[in-house]
Amino acid sequence: MKQMIGRLMAGGMLAALALSMALQAQDFKLFDRTVQVHGFASQGFVHTDENNWLTMNTSNVGSGEFTDFGANASTQITDRFRVGAQIYDRDLGQLGRWHPDLDWAYGDFKFKPWLGFRAGKVKTVLGLFNDTQDMDFLHTFALLPQSVYSTDMRDSTLSHIGGDLYGTFSLGKHVGKFSYTAYGGDQRQSIYGGYPYLLTIHGVYIKNSGGPTFGGDLRWITPVKGLLTGASYEKNDVLNTGLLNPSIALGGPNVFVPYTEWSKDQFAQQFYGEYAKGNLRVDAEFRHFWRDFTIFNGQFEAATNTHPWYGSASYRVAKRVELGGYYSHYEIDWIVTAPGQVEAPNVSSPDRHLYDKVVTARFDMKNYWYAKVEGHFMDGYAGFQYPDGFYPQANPNGLKPDTNALVVKTGFNF
Amino acid sequence: MKKRVFFLAAACSLLIASWQARASDVKVIANSSVTASSVSAGDVKDVFLLDKDSLGGSHVDPVLSKGGPAHEAFLKDYLGKNDAALQAFYRSLVFTGKASMPKSLGSDGEVVAYVAKTKGAVGYVSSGASTEGVKTLVVK
Repeated sequence: MKQMIGRLMAGGMLAALALSMALQAQDFKLFDRTVQVHGFASQGFVHTDENNWLTMNTSNVGSGEFTDFGANASTQITDRFRVGAQIYDRDLGQLGRWHPDLDWAYGDFKFKPWLGFRAGKVKTVLGLFNDTQDMDFLHTFALLPQSVYSTDMRDSTLSHIGGDLYGTFSLGKHVGKFSYTAYGGDQRQSIYGGYPYLLTIHGVYIKNSGGPTFGGDLRWITPVKGLLTGASYEKNDVLNTGLLNPSIALGGPNVFVPYTEWSKDQFAQQFYGEYAKGNLRVDAEFRHFWRDFTIFNGQFEAATNTHPWYGSASYRVAKRVELGGYYSHYEIDWIVTAPGQVEAPNVSSPDRHLYDKVVTARFDMKNYWYAKVEGHFMDGYAGFQYPDGFYPQANPNGLKPDTNALVVKTGFNF
Repeated sequence: MKKRVFFLAAACSLLIASWQARASDVKVIANSSVTASSVSAGDVKDVFLLDKDSLGGSHVDPVLSKGGPAHEAFLKDYLGKNDAALQAFYRSLVFTGKASMPKSLGSDGEVVAYVAKTKGAVGYVSSGASTEGVKTLVVK
């Protein structure tokens, strides 16, 4: 019933967005200032031949539980000061579940092109696409390379409540430009994300997640036309609290006791490059993500170490058609001190890797309306130590080593 | 041999002529409040990619055309992006709260009229368009 109400509410909001788009009511005046209103929505369908993917029941007919939308309003108060806010909501299988989020809401004062300051809830700059990963209409691919931009873990790096210092400066025509962002604040993580969902298999129910974060990004817009390169860093302290039902692991009657886990050390380093010329675009990114947690109220330790990377290319073959492909590479090393937890010795084991080859066609029917058809050819499922798209709850009969997936998606924005 | 040289020379002339035609296909215009009268091609790119919000000390806001030859020539000559990439670039800023969507107008006449009445507006029109009421910036 709750879900139906959520869907009805979402449907109503989608209809309102569509109506707003049809009326092109994007600007209005408020106290002599122009307020711009923009929005987007997308609907996807996923079918897989073997394993269920992304917490959906994809391996039978397929699943259409792949919907999201967002809307924002912003205005320029003075030449240097602007304010705005965006809401975002999604339903992806067991994730999101129609719990709307304040996606971003901040004031932005730009003193000079080389020095600005944002404060509020701000999207975190990490690599090429972290801050725009939910805006499907911006990307060629229906799913960004999941090794680096895993949609089930999107909120673990998505935004922070705090402040950014940012700016762009030039070091001359022959050196190019540099763009920087430095930030700090508190990062709240959704309790409807992939990690809390994964923990439910152990009887852990996370009610609150997050903690202090800081980091930065430096990108070089090189003098070679269309080529940029950069590096990002993010450090997190995370405290997760909630409830534990020991009977799930040990048997016996249902009892709920307080649960706590916390990070001993967690960081992400990311290096990236992009080349865009005419209708061609090539991207490549590498991330090193290290995560060392004390879990189960201090009883055990769990550490994961990953070095995911991808390379992608797309080409606009006609005004309204773009073709693309990528290779996404994910391998995991882990140690868990709980009894019986032993990593497979070789990374060739399907529970230690996930290699995804992807081809996509994107069609822009109108400037505001698009559709995508995408094929994924996946080798491995990378186990259950950290979320990566495949979950034991969604695959109670175990996982097969390979999965092929068809993703169809359409959406609009205004 | 003579024929080959002739065809090569003719092809080169055509290439140069077409390049010159493209470079002069578009005029960059500004509201009379903008103090600068000449700008570099880099300044124009920075203004339209929202890296720069002033020219000669005056605050400026870019104004786009929705399409047409002047728009295509401007994208190719100054911004080095196709229209889809430019729209995606603006939307990535709008949907992360970093900028507003620049005004986009349907014809040269609308761009000239809007730039003429809007303080700080900078736009572009085809070289043959009437630019009465606005100043044409010399691009060095």
